[in-house]
Amino acid sequence: MKKLKMKKVGVSSLLAGLVLVLLAGDALAHGERAQLASMRMRTVHWFDTKVEPLNVKVGDVVTVTGKLVTSEWWPQQLASIEDTVYLNIGVPGPTFLRLHSEVNGVPMMRSTAFPLGKVYEYKTVMRARIAGRYHVHPILNVKDSGSLVDKGTWLEVAESDSTAPFTNEVTTLLGDTIDLETYGLGAVYTWHLIWLAIGLAYILYWLLRKELFIPRFLRIRHLGQDRANEIITKKDFVAGGLFFTLTLATILGGYLWAENKYPITIPLQTGKVEVTPIEVPTGDLEVVVDSASYALAGRSLSMRLKVTNHGDSPLRISEFLTANIRFLNPKVTESEIYPGEEMVAKEGLTVSVNVIEPGKTVEVELVASDALWEQYRMTGMINDPDSRFAGLVFYYDDNGERFYQEVGGSILPTFF
Amino acid sequence: MSETPTSELTEVEVKSRLLDMKSLDNPKAMKLYRRFDGIIILVLFMFLILGIQIHFTLTAGDWDYWIDWRDRRWWPLVAPFSLLLFIGPFAYGFWARVRLPIAATVITLLLCAVSWLSRYLNFYEFTHFPMSFVFPSTYIGLGILLDCALLITRSLLASALIGGGLFGALVWPLNWSFMAASKVPVELNGTLLSVADLMGYQYIRTTTPEYLRIIEESTLRTFGGSVTPLTAVFSALCGMVIYGIFLWVGSRINRLDIYTKRIV
Repeated sequence: MKKLKMKKVGVSSLLAGLVLVLLAGDALAHGERAQLASMRMRTVHWFDTKVEPLNVKVGDVVTVTGKLVTSEWWPQQLASIEDTVYLNIGVPGPTFLRLHSEVNGVPMMRSTAFPLGKVYEYKTVMRARIAGRYHVHPILNVKDSGSLVDKGTWLEVAESDSTAPFTNEVTTLLGDTIDLETYGLGAVYTWHLIWLAIGLAYILYWLLRKELFIPRFLRIRHLGQDRANEIITKKDFVAGGLFFTLTLATILGGYLWAENKYPITIPLQTGKVEVTPIEVPTGDLEVVVDSASYALAGRSLSMRLKVTNHGDSPLRISEFLTANIRFLNPKVTESEIYPGEEMVAKEGLTVSVNVIEPGKTVEVELVASDALWEQYRMTGMINDPDSRFAGLVFYYDDNGERFYQEVGGSILPTFF
Repeated sequence: MSETPTSELTEVEVKSRLLDMKSLDNPKAMKLYRRFDGIIILVLFMFLILGIQIHFTLTAGDWDYWIDWRDRRWWPLVAPFSLLLFIGPFAYGFWARVRLPIAATVITLLLCAVSWLSRYLNFYEFTHFPMSFVFPSTYIGLGILLDCALLITRSLLASALIGGGLFGALVWPLNWSFMAASKVPVELNGTLLSVADLMGYQYIRTTTPEYLRIIEESTLRTFGGSVTPLTAVFSALCGMVIYGIFLWVGSRINRLDIYTKRIV
């Protein structure tokens, strides 16, 4: 009976394991929905993200460009992006080689700092290394806060036409051209084998003997601790001396060999670099949030805005961007959607006043509404300990020039 | 080690110990002991290989995973610190119970073997990092020096001073034979980098940004340029102290058998 029960348990466990394995899918994204909604809205606004081209082969170059604005509503409790930040790229490990990255023209091998409320243009150039289908995200790693992830773009990497192994050649400042895929491995294998051989020889010297643990334990117990050293023979002592000398000689030999082979070396390099924010023309629209709410059971965010046009050209609100979701006003056609771009609600923005005339102050109701709101867990704000929001309002003037203004404030849920 | 003085033993225990000694001349008993020794080796192998892997990963993992973490200041300090605090209690136990000066060599050898296995399967095969970027360091030579210091001096204190000191001081020279290549200078976009820095930049790690590295930074300290020898001296001192402390911890652990006896 007991045997039968155990068999049942065994079969059930096996089946459960099999089901889990079959149901498990690949992890393809970088947790862009996982962070708190209010934190995604109030940290960094990414826009104009372009990944080109979307279909490449191993060895081809891919360029990721875009802009970002650091939010003036940055949460006080988070370590600030004004301290230390690093421009990174979200791909599954080294499936790509990063050849170059820059922010506002400054190379980004190292970390930097971004003052709040400024706009930055970034660019990352990569070379495809491993074939596959990847969700590529620009990422900012903020020290002591975490990662801020832009929306992803799917990228197909096919196998290379060449059957030659992938190489990554660079020329050192000493003039040698090296392949980083295999650089220095000969010495690594050789020296590791030498040390493994010496280590094994030492261990085998002790293990390959007639009396090991139990007999030695019995002898020591019989002799007592004061006389226990008698168990160490003269041969052991000599062997110890030989291994000691051999080890020191090998360390010294290896060190001198490397010094001779690589006479010029430098320490690891680190230290922050400075990036100057770019000056962008500020538009003539002044936007003040009167109130904001989101429908808990629905898929929308509503804002009541007081909008003043200080310029001499009529202005049209084209887009609201928050937490990487773009809500586009279908009545303003200038907004561009990039190939492969995700998280765009093409008709997601309703604006109560289509044109804001020069010199006028009007009340505008702005409703951002789409399934994306729910899909990207924005309704989860009800569970956030800090119900405030921020986003960018984009607008165009008559010349087709685009401007933006960041808006933000408290936000309330509506339940019906 | 808790050794009951012969005078405090009962008559039965004295007889039993004499019989134990006689058993060493009995081929059948010796055969049985060898089998038990085999089991002990197997158990120790499993325990030590898992123990050192988990312990070293948690305390010095990144310094050993990536060559752009192996700097002149922190790695030669953190790695021996981490290893000696694991080795100390085992070295005491092996010496006090069976007079085998092998703990440090066994542990560093197992660490090397399991690190190669992990780097090859996890880092190279599974996540596609080139081995030239993630090869492990070796500490086997330091383990042998520590064990041999104990064997030659037959004193735990002297081994802590000589062996512990050498263990701390020689991390950098021991690994330099195959690590020097990664410190050759290169240039990228007008910035000076070592080959290791360049690889750290090119082979993308999404959650390991550049600032996360705990490595040497420029300071205004006197002798700021002589980092390697200064770190070696400081690491040697730390090695002596840490090893000494954890040998003492080992001696305390070895006394726990008193409680076992009481329970029995």
